[in-house]
Amino acid sequence: MSEFEYLNIDETLYETEIPAGTFTASDGPPDRRQVRAFIPGIIHEIRVGEGGRVETGDVLLLLEAMKMYNEVTAIQSGRVEKVLVEAGDIVEKNQLLLTLD
Amino acid sequence: MSENRHDRSPRDQESPSLGARIRDFLIQAASLMKGGGSEALDRQRSKGKMTARERVEYLLDSDSFLELDLFVEHTARDFGMDKKKLAGDGVITGFGRIGTRPVALYAQDFTVAGGSLGMMHAGKIVKVMDGARDRLIPLIGINDSGGARIQEGIDSLRGYGDIFFRNTLLSGVVPQLSVILGPCAGGAVYSPALTDFVFVVDGVSNMFITGPQVIKTVLGEEVTPEELGGARVQTTVTGNAHFYARTEHEAFDQVARLLTFLPANSRQMPPAVHWRPPARPITNDIIPPERRRAFDVVDVIRGIVDDSDFLEVQAGWARNIVIGFARLDGRTVGIVANQPRILAGVLDVDSSDKAARFIRFCDAFNIPLVTFVDTPGYLPGVDQEYAGVIRHGAKILYAYSEATVPKLTVIMRKAYGGAYIAMCSRHLGANFLFAWPGAEIAVMGPEGAANIIFRREIEASADPDATRAEKVREYEEKFANPYVGASKGYVDAIVEPEKTREALIRGLNLSRNREYGKVERRHGNMPL
Repeated sequence: MSEFEYLNIDETLYETEIPAGTFTASDGPPDRRQVRAFIPGIIHEIRVGEGGRVETGDVLLLLEAMKMYNEVTAIQSGRVEKVLVEAGDIVEKNQLLLTLD
Repeated sequence: MSENRHDRSPRDQESPSLGARIRDFLIQAASLMKGGGSEALDRQRSKGKMTARERVEYLLDSDSFLELDLFVEHTARDFGMDKKKLAGDGVITGFGRIGTRPVALYAQDFTVAGGSLGMMHAGKIVKVMDGARDRLIPLIGINDSGGARIQEGIDSLRGYGDIFFRNTLLSGVVPQLSVILGPCAGGAVYSPALTDFVFVVDGVSNMFITGPQVIKTVLGEEVTPEELGGARVQTTVTGNAHFYARTEHEAFDQVARLLTFLPANSRQMPPAVHWRPPARPITNDIIPPERRRAFDVVDVIRGIVDDSDFLEVQAGWARNIVIGFARLDGRTVGIVANQPRILAGVLDVDSSDKAARFIRFCDAFNIPLVTFVDTPGYLPGVDQEYAGVIRHGAKILYAYSEATVPKLTVIMRKAYGGAYIAMCSRHLGANFLFAWPGAEIAVMGPEGAANIIFRREIEASADPDATRAEKVREYEEKFANPYVGASKGYVDAIVEPEKTREALIRGLNLSRNREYGKVERRHGNMPL
């Protein structure tokens, strides 16, 4: 039998078991300035340069996976801070590709 | 040779005698009944699996099996299929009895072309599904198949489509059970997914949409079939399966046991049996009065139901809520209960899904619902919000509100906030709502409530901690009890734990399926 931990619901601490994986987003909502690969693949084409201005919805780069050139788009506007990959690079899932500021 | 055909004696004719024909039939049938052949059957057994025919034999009452379509053959010609003879086209179908009650059954035969589904194979299954609909009897599918028979192209897709369509039309008409005793991959998994209960066996069952090879190729992730979709995963992680067994025999025993709780179809009441008292009836001190302490709600359930016999469903998944079948006074009831031992018994995404589907199954099959409540609310956090706790949580509200079977609720201890409403409160149509003397029906726990209501006083105080403690006590005295709810008629009766069984049985005897004055509509739009 596992150890009981304490779960805070509305300021009351309940003695109970908390299954592994219940809380994963310990850092809060994801950082929208980080553009990560949603799938492993190959960088096909990079469409922005460092210092360039992007608006929400602009295509930042094309990521080849599952027989498609997938469009990776900006989910918020900003300036491109750093481009960390180049065309031809093989990337893993969640790999950081590009940062905005 | 004779001139006139009428002159010929019957003995001159070359057609075989009836005796020879019967012998010939018996030889052919025996051969077909060997599926892929003796060697293939031995290979199946050496993998620790029963053969399809052994499974049918074990599950059904002896000598009750009426097999259909043993002699069906495929009509495919491409890719060498015209040269292939496939016994029964890889599936055994027919009708039989379990516990003397008739069922429709199919069992895929992995020894014949890997149990792959071709057009005629699917046609055989469709025939017994239609038979289940005509006779209004439960349908049991034993899945053990490599999937679509590629050689038959889109005819196998058609076959799956025909099956899924009928699973859907049968849903809520007759109970549909799926026993996964081998691979069940790709599109094939959608049949079990559409049925009511899925049974899996450790080391034997495997369900997934895309298999390890595809995942490796496309995503570069390495995972074994067992890790991806084995029995443990399906009963603890995904919630796709409802019953876990260590052996095939155990799975079949579970099937038989489940059927004893259920009616044959939605027009019937569940079978009634002779009532028996619980083996260990609950006592008034069954649960700790201290609201923050955990206890195992299964002990409460077993202490109330007939014979302490509780068939838990999906025991390994979303464990903060407990669901299952039991009997009160000899009649089947569906139990839904918060489990304070896990996540303090909160409601969340998975527990809402788990409870809602079970509630709707019970409602479809005339099974009264008995709900036991001890919940502090919903699980907070970004994980839950991003996972859609709003639309998932709504399912349990919908399911209880929609249900017209008798609904009886027992508030054991905490019932706070939205979770109080969701756990079959009177407001969602409970026929009877009982509360134990230690129950607390409130907007939230005293600590949280006092912090909000008396915030200014606490902040302005010279000794905030002391003031807070005082306000918490005040709130607790006023609201952490069943009397406020009882004074408003939200609680029908306050009942001691020891008297709960009696109260529930009386409540059941006084209830029957409701006919609300429902507004005519095609159907509601259930949040999904």
